[in-house]
Amino acid sequence: MNFRPLKGAFTTSVVIAGSLAGSPADKQPGSSEPTSPVSDRLAPLAQGDEGSSRFHFTRAVYSDVLRQGRSWFVDFPEADRHFLIGLERLTAIDPFERENPVRLDDPALRNFPFLYAVEVGYMALTEPEVEGLRGYLLAGGFLVVDDFWGSREWANFEFQIKRVLPEFAITELPIDHPLMSSFYEIEEVRQVPGFGRGVRGFPTWERDGYVPHLRGIFDDDGRLVVLINWNTDLGDAWEHADMAEYPLNYSTYAYRLGINTIIYALTH
Amino acid sequence: MESIFQFFFKYRSFVFQRGEIIFSLSPTVVLAILVGIGALTFLTYSRVRGKSTRRDRIILSLMRVGIVAALVFSLARPVLVLSTSVPQKNFIGILLDDSRSMQIADGDGSRGNAVTETFASDGSLMGALSDRFLIRFFRFSSETQRMEGTAGLEFDGPRTSLPDALDRARQELSGVPLAGLVMVSDGADNSGVQLSDAIVALEASSVPVFSVGVGREEFERDIALRRVDTPRSVLKGASLVVDLTIAQRGYRGQTVELFVEDSDRIISQQEVELPPDGEAARVRVHLTAEEVGPRLFKFRVPALSGELVTQNNEQEALVIVEDRKERILYFEGEPRFEVGFLRRAVADDENLQLVVLQRTAEDKFLRLDVDGEDELAAGFPSTREELFSYRSLVLGSVEASFFTHDQLQMIAEFVGQRGGGLLLLGGPRAFAEGGYIGTPLEAVMPVVMEAPVEGRPPLSLDVALSPAGLTNAVTQLGATEEESGERWTALPNVTTWNHISRIKPGAVELITATAEGLSEPQTVLAHQRYGRGKVVVFTPQDSWLWKMNPDVPVDDPTHETFWRQMLRWLVSYVPDQLNISTERDRVARSEGVDLTASVEDDRFLGVNNSHVVAEVVDPAGGISELEMEWAVERDGEYRAGFAPATNGVYEIRVNSFSDGERTGSDTTYVQVAELDTEFYDAEMKAAPLRRMAEETGGRFYTIDDLSTLADDITFSESGTTVIEERDLWNMPIIFFAVVLLLGTEWGYRRVRGLA
Repeated sequence: MNFRPLKGAFTTSVVIAGSLAGSPADKQPGSSEPTSPVSDRLAPLAQGDEGSSRFHFTRAVYSDVLRQGRSWFVDFPEADRHFLIGLERLTAIDPFERENPVRLDDPALRNFPFLYAVEVGYMALTEPEVEGLRGYLLAGGFLVVDDFWGSREWANFEFQIKRVLPEFAITELPIDHPLMSSFYEIEEVRQVPGFGRGVRGFPTWERDGYVPHLRGIFDDDGRLVVLINWNTDLGDAWEHADMAEYPLNYSTYAYRLGINTIIYALTH
Repeated sequence: MESIFQFFFKYRSFVFQRGEIIFSLSPTVVLAILVGIGALTFLTYSRVRGKSTRRDRIILSLMRVGIVAALVFSLARPVLVLSTSVPQKNFIGILLDDSRSMQIADGDGSRGNAVTETFASDGSLMGALSDRFLIRFFRFSSETQRMEGTAGLEFDGPRTSLPDALDRARQELSGVPLAGLVMVSDGADNSGVQLSDAIVALEASSVPVFSVGVGREEFERDIALRRVDTPRSVLKGASLVVDLTIAQRGYRGQTVELFVEDSDRIISQQEVELPPDGEAARVRVHLTAEEVGPRLFKFRVPALSGELVTQNNEQEALVIVEDRKERILYFEGEPRFEVGFLRRAVADDENLQLVVLQRTAEDKFLRLDVDGEDELAAGFPSTREELFSYRSLVLGSVEASFFTHDQLQMIAEFVGQRGGGLLLLGGPRAFAEGGYIGTPLEAVMPVVMEAPVEGRPPLSLDVALSPAGLTNAVTQLGATEEESGERWTALPNVTTWNHISRIKPGAVELITATAEGLSEPQTVLAHQRYGRGKVVVFTPQDSWLWKMNPDVPVDDPTHETFWRQMLRWLVSYVPDQLNISTERDRVARSEGVDLTASVEDDRFLGVNNSHVVAEVVDPAGGISELEMEWAVERDGEYRAGFAPATNGVYEIRVNSFSDGERTGSDTTYVQVAELDTEFYDAEMKAAPLRRMAEETGGRFYTIDDLSTLADDITFSESGTTVIEERDLWNMPIIFFAVVLLLGTEWGYRRVRGLA
């Protein structure tokens, strides 16, 4: 995790403590009302000026709890831009080279079948956002979530995604799943630490998220609809890939898994 | 009219047509006499002085000259020279139509009855004919056979072939003096054989045909399902679009029910408003082919009161529903959503295997749905054997320079020689933008590419069906053409990088689009035949918007339906290395079944030394083997035939072997039944009967008036004949002319006071 407004101001434990104090997990299942709806200032329109004609790395803009609607904003836009540079250089994809944040309740979301969301442990979707995301996923969209840690954040995300897709179960993605070989051969699920822990080298986990997981939600046709990167932070690895102090092996892995994910999303 | 002519001219007009008029005096002498007498008459009248005017003298002179001319004509002793048959020295062939359409009772009785009564051995016509000629009878339908008298007629032949009947009779009687052939038929030929060749052969032999039409040229009240167009074979689950043509007379504006039955089970029913008399209504029926194997669909309109022929109210069509996996290679040059959505659209189709070769980076490929480790391991196929193993090829956004020239040529041959289907998708690296101008694929494409313009933004396309698209099965999204057209118009815009607005001659455009800022409509979907295969162009790059767009309901099947139909269409009628076919899919028991197999190697070149065996499974399950022989005139073509013994559906399984190993197999079906072909379009067709008579020097009659037939044949120039001269000087017309002119002259003088 690398939450910019708090970076340097609090330790990770303070962040966790602060987060947990008002964690949506504590509010479940009685309320899912966001305390921080997405403000207009933080909800820019889609940037893609070429619409559906090119690949857009689209970031989900959503409402959250206790974070002034800025959970979606973590690592933005550097992570997106850095990753797009790698994507263009390493693959035959000719992507739109800028970030592309889109609100979940914006109909324009349906023009971008790939969607990336971070910090979903703080997600608190409004009903229009639930409806928008559900329609998006059922119509053929693909959601990748990243950078959320531990059981409490998992519980919140699980609660939120069940509001969106109550009929589908969350399952562990097997290591031999086609996504793991769509471009690079990836043989293990590794934990990619956030910037601070990555620089220090150990521990790589946050809160009680000791073991990284790659999970998925499949629809009735067996299509992978949601890819869940839990207890790992690919976004930070992309964002800091150009920093010497951030370990290269994490960035390399994050790029590989990110590219595999996109190739898979485009072809399946 | 003919009797009036004969009264004045002594003989019938046909006799004059057959003969030549000559004079005992030479025409020059006759002319000289006429000129001399004429001049003398004018001179005499011109010298007369009195109260006559100049006009009177001219009129009287002309009448007098006319009288003299008539007399001179008689004095010149005109004779009609005719060639006539020597009695009992010549043969005639009488060909009697024995087909099922002769059962139609559109006269006092059935057509067949009219024939048997008219040509009965004790009838007046046969008496007159047998007095003059030796007679040979033939009965014909799909085949022609000699018979004695009319007793052998059964009127149950499944088809009518007039040319074959004429040929057979001419050949059989070629060794005897033949005065002519008498063709007795309703003229409703349904053999598909050209009449011209038979007529030319008769002309060369100087054998006249005297044709006799039987039946009415127009039914007062009738409904007929004239045509049913179905595909010969389809994949299981395919949506069938069947076009029917319903013609009627006497029921204009009425509404009838059209039923479709499969194994006596009604699977579709719809109302049809009948068109004006003599016009045909086109009806479209949508069916789904769910059950595998030969399916016999029956299309039926219940008979209405007053219909003369009810057998033509229904048609059957044999459709082979196949359950096979059709392998399509989709090569995509850049990862894009079109791949994933297209794969997803056909994922549930058990009859399509979309093998994807996705270029993910420079010289890096992702293979999807391949059959084994080796398939496409080296990238895009580099040999014909490898490429030709697929039945269709989809090329996505991949630049021409990716391929070698030989690979591009190979793709062109994949269509032209192998007969595969090629689908070219739009994209930033496709068509002109992909550098395809001047490559072997340019000739293959159904569209004209324009030189690309650097930096041009993609076009937003507002699509709509073209008139051809409204009726094409691949673009059907609704139950009716209107519904389908409206659905397409309502679809959200898609985009393309490829500016294409012109199709080539012979190509068909199915979907067009308007684009903002451009005056000319853009081509979205077009196709054409190229050699043995077909090429389809689809210019948008993001048809997935028809699935994802917020204006499209989540469960809307448009995207899946379109792509499923598109890929099934792409693989339809793509030949295998071994293909078995029959000339007709429905035959009568009396007709033979002709089998043709084409055997090709893995480069789709004809193989002439193959061992080809057909197994014929009859309706009872009995199996017989047939060796198929190479037809020398065509590479890789093998033929055989068999005579079906019972009605029902026959299965024909063919295997080809080379060096003892099986190299191919194919199966087809043929239905053997009592065909009602004869009852379609069954009105008497006078035109072919007239044509064969007029072009061979014979004459056309209707069966109600054959009184002059025997005499007319007598004047045939064919066979053993004598030259006969018949006087014309005593034709009544000459006497009446003289009397008329004299009377008029006298009357004129009286009126003018010149008498």
